Amino acid sequence: MAALLTAEACDYSQMMTNANIDAFADEQSLVKRAQRSDARAFEELYRLHIGKVYGICLRMTGNVSEAEDCAQEAFIQAWNKLEKFRGESAFSTWLHRVAVNVVLGRMRKSKREQDRIMAVTQDMPAPIVTGDTGEMRDLSEAVDRLPEGARNVFVLHAVYGYSHDEAGEMLGIAAGTSKAQLHRAKRLLAQQLKQEGFES
Amino acid sequence: MNDDKLMQVAEQLATDIRPERDLWPGISEAIERPAPRRWTPMLAQAAAVVLLVGASSAVTYMTMKDSGPVTVVASPDMVFEQASFGNRYSLGPGFLDARNALAAELDVELQKVSPEARADIETNLQLIHNAIFEMNEALEQDPENILLQERLLNTYREELNLLRRVGGLTRNVMLRNDI
Repeated sequence: MAALLTAEACDYSQMMTNANIDAFADEQSLVKRAQRSDARAFEELYRLHIGKVYGICLRMTGNVSEAEDCAQEAFIQAWNKLEKFRGESAFSTWLHRVAVNVVLGRMRKSKREQDRIMAVTQDMPAPIVTGDTGEMRDLSEAVDRLPEGARNVFVLHAVYGYSHDEAGEMLGIAAGTSKAQLHRAKRLLAQQLKQEGFES
Repeated sequence: MNDDKLMQVAEQLATDIRPERDLWPGISEAIERPAPRRWTPMLAQAAAVVLLVGASSAVTYMTMKDSGPVTVVASPDMVFEQASFGNRYSLGPGFLDARNALAAELDVELQKVSPEARADIETNLQLIHNAIFEMNEALEQDPENILLQERLLNTYREELNLLRRVGGLTRNVMLRNDI
């Protein structure tokens, strides 16, 4: 029985590996077609990746309309820069990097970050629909109130699973700074959640 | 909530969040609009070389057509770049011999054409040499760049063609004068 389970596990594992390889090959094919200016292939890539790209934009900006603008701009920039993508990293990582750059660029340009924090503290806009429930929703809202630097690192590292090296590269900061910002984010979040009555 | 619990909850936060509206129509409209082509200085220079070589040919053709008296002017001070680049292509001894022979004859040949044609030829050669210099510099940074190597090889060929055309042009002038 144990041997059978092991074999099944192996088969399942192999099946998953094959599925991943197929998905990877499909995506590579779409990227190559899009690099040859095939807009239909690029639309398929958009459909595959919009959820995570928009998610990053939403969690970094904390604003639905700003996140939509950033996600849209990220895909337009990705199309224009697509010939520079050489497959040295996963397409999703490359795309997320583009999205992060768009968000940071827009924040720097318009200084909306300060407006955003003021709006959150004064008016408390309608909650953003992320699909989070219960304590996750509370954490999500607390993340939204973090200062920009700490929030960006927390979103990329703790939520999207990027390493400090990767998050630092995306944000244009050192890995050490990323670690320090994460520490700050955790401290601020713990304080916020404690004030709202959450205990470990 | 302690750090571990915080990180555990953070890992469970939704990462795939669909926007409430489809953003594709806006993206589609933007990417299907013809974007202005960006020119790098080197590509612009390569284009200028092609344009000026064409213009030069036209000017020298007109000069030959009129075939007035041959004006003798001072010898130009042309400097030739070393013909070396990347590891994909190498210039054969035949190419180098032809190039060196034509380069040596250039001063003499240039004295046989009109000042306008001579100025054009010198401008073209200078542009080609600048392009060769820049491409060699770029290849030092990126020796495996195939596109750059091919572009450099084509520029060397362009230089050789121009030198040959100068030789052919002056020989034709001489033949016409003889007649």
